[in-house]
Amino acid sequence: MSSVQALCQACSCAMFQNIECKLGFAKFCGINAVGLSRGRKSLLKPIMAKEDHGASLIDDGNPKCQGHQVNKPNGINQSTALSGKSLTEMSNIGNSMNILWHECPIQKLDRQQLLQQKGCVIWLTGLSGSGKSTLACALSRSLHSKGKLTYILDGDNIRHGLNRDLSFRAEDRSENIRRIGEVSKLLADAGVICIASLISPYRKDRDACRALLPEGDFIEVFIDVPLDVCEARDPKGLYKLARAGKIKGFTGIDDPYEPPYSCEIVLQQKGSECMSPSDTAEIVISYLEKNGYLLA
Amino acid sequence: MTTAKALRQPCYAGIFRNIECGPSPAAESLGFPKLRGINVTGLHCGRRGLVLVLRAKSKPIRAKENASVSASLIDDWFKPITAKEDSNAEDRTSSFSGKNLTQMSNVGNSTNIMWHDCPIQKQDRQQLLQQQGCVIWLTGLSGSGKSTIACALSQSLHSKGKLSYILDGDNIRHGLNQDLSFRAEDRSENIRRIGEVAKLFADAGVICITSLISPYQKDRDACRALLSKGDFIEVFIDVPLHVCEARDPKGLYKLARAGKIKGFTGIDDPYEPPCSCEIVLQQKGSDCKSPSDMAEEVISYLEENGYLRA
Repeated sequence: MSSVQALCQACSCAMFQNIECKLGFAKFCGINAVGLSRGRKSLLKPIMAKEDHGASLIDDGNPKCQGHQVNKPNGINQSTALSGKSLTEMSNIGNSMNILWHECPIQKLDRQQLLQQKGCVIWLTGLSGSGKSTLACALSRSLHSKGKLTYILDGDNIRHGLNRDLSFRAEDRSENIRRIGEVSKLLADAGVICIASLISPYRKDRDACRALLPEGDFIEVFIDVPLDVCEARDPKGLYKLARAGKIKGFTGIDDPYEPPYSCEIVLQQKGSECMSPSDTAEIVISYLEKNGYLLA
Repeated sequence: MTTAKALRQPCYAGIFRNIECGPSPAAESLGFPKLRGINVTGLHCGRRGLVLVLRAKSKPIRAKENASVSASLIDDWFKPITAKEDSNAEDRTSSFSGKNLTQMSNVGNSTNIMWHDCPIQKQDRQQLLQQQGCVIWLTGLSGSGKSTIACALSQSLHSKGKLSYILDGDNIRHGLNQDLSFRAEDRSENIRRIGEVAKLFADAGVICITSLISPYQKDRDACRALLSKGDFIEVFIDVPLHVCEARDPKGLYKLARAGKIKGFTGIDDPYEPPCSCEIVLQQKGSDCKSPSDMAEEVISYLEENGYLRA
């Protein structure tokens, strides 16, 4: 971890150097930029989050570098990608060896231009019964009426498919969130506005998902509804079962929920006032519009 | 479980009754085979009525007719079921009201999870994008050109204003599947997860291009079974092993021959060519089609079968 942090530091430093020297190609201290040629090998693990972050910095800080964006690990840039050939780079990662990163000339920016929107992840977090799914649907409908492409990743629905092999053990709950985070990243990369709707009670898990995406592409929305209100609603009858001891480890009853420290949006129910789903959806829409997500 | 079985019986009977009692000219001309050994594993209630998800115990039936006819047949099959199930009719009514439809179920290793439906459906997204969400599954040996064709295909579709996304088997191992090794079970899990993600992308209205060897017919068929008929387009890149080995763009064949990679497809492990896929991209003798030529073959198929319009 220390080594990775050092590398991240170096990359960050290198990014700024690149801006100063106005070079189209970013140099990475300690990393070979072997991705430029077909089939070259590198044994270094790609550093995903930091490099994406660096790419964002370049985009924001230096318009002249637009033609040489660093979109992917190890500095493979758009100019080379535009040649139409696959860029490949051998790497070892996780439990796999001898796998390659493949680049393709059609990138996220192209898809966003086509869709006239920014691919991003809207991560709805809150207790069961707080209205996450209802808000997700209202948001989806509202965005669709504006001609925007959205897709809802509902935590429960995903358990019917991709995550059918996972139980509700603690490790499997984390894996459930990790996989949804990875899929939401893919959808955002495709240019889609991905609305993830799951309790995700632990800050650690939410932060890990945020780290997968470039700065600004992860919009955390905390639906702040008190436990007693959620329990009174109990739309799925789960609180009743949990109180009766038939469900163990239920968030809010046996297991804790960790409210976000700093999220992009808080949708709060104050006292007995109850905002309608479309009202709360409009708050999110306003945020998206103000921050340029609804135009390419 | 008893309840589930009871529910399945009417559906099963309904399908056969529909076929036998209604000598549909479309069915006759198409020579649509009778279905056997089908488990009804999921009812998704949405704005467009019931969508019955069939998992065939035998191999999936790959109809040659185009998607619209297929959809029409499916609609015909399911009408009797819809008419008879009051609760389902009620569910459909609720769906139109825009409320959440929820249905408690036990599936896989989870209990007490609900299915959530939403008024914005796949058809709405397809209408917005002016294309049919589907999965183009590129299969072939390492070095056959899957990734290159995937990129060419993506470029070509983009130039036509169509939204596509490539799920490259190797790239996915950097993210979603980084917890998987190359053991046999993990290889199958790798393919299963990519199939599930591809299904999500197709449901989002995207033309999803998957690029991975997927050497076993069983795994490919399992992925096909996840999607609606016509939404899974299997493309076999038929390049002989010796040509792939001669190319060896990643240097893997060399390593495998040297014994440094075990269980390499084509060397230690077998590749099972598709028995019946939608498209075969064949390299005949020394002819070497360009990636864009092969991509155009796929594009032609998509155009002819209505995938590039809503």
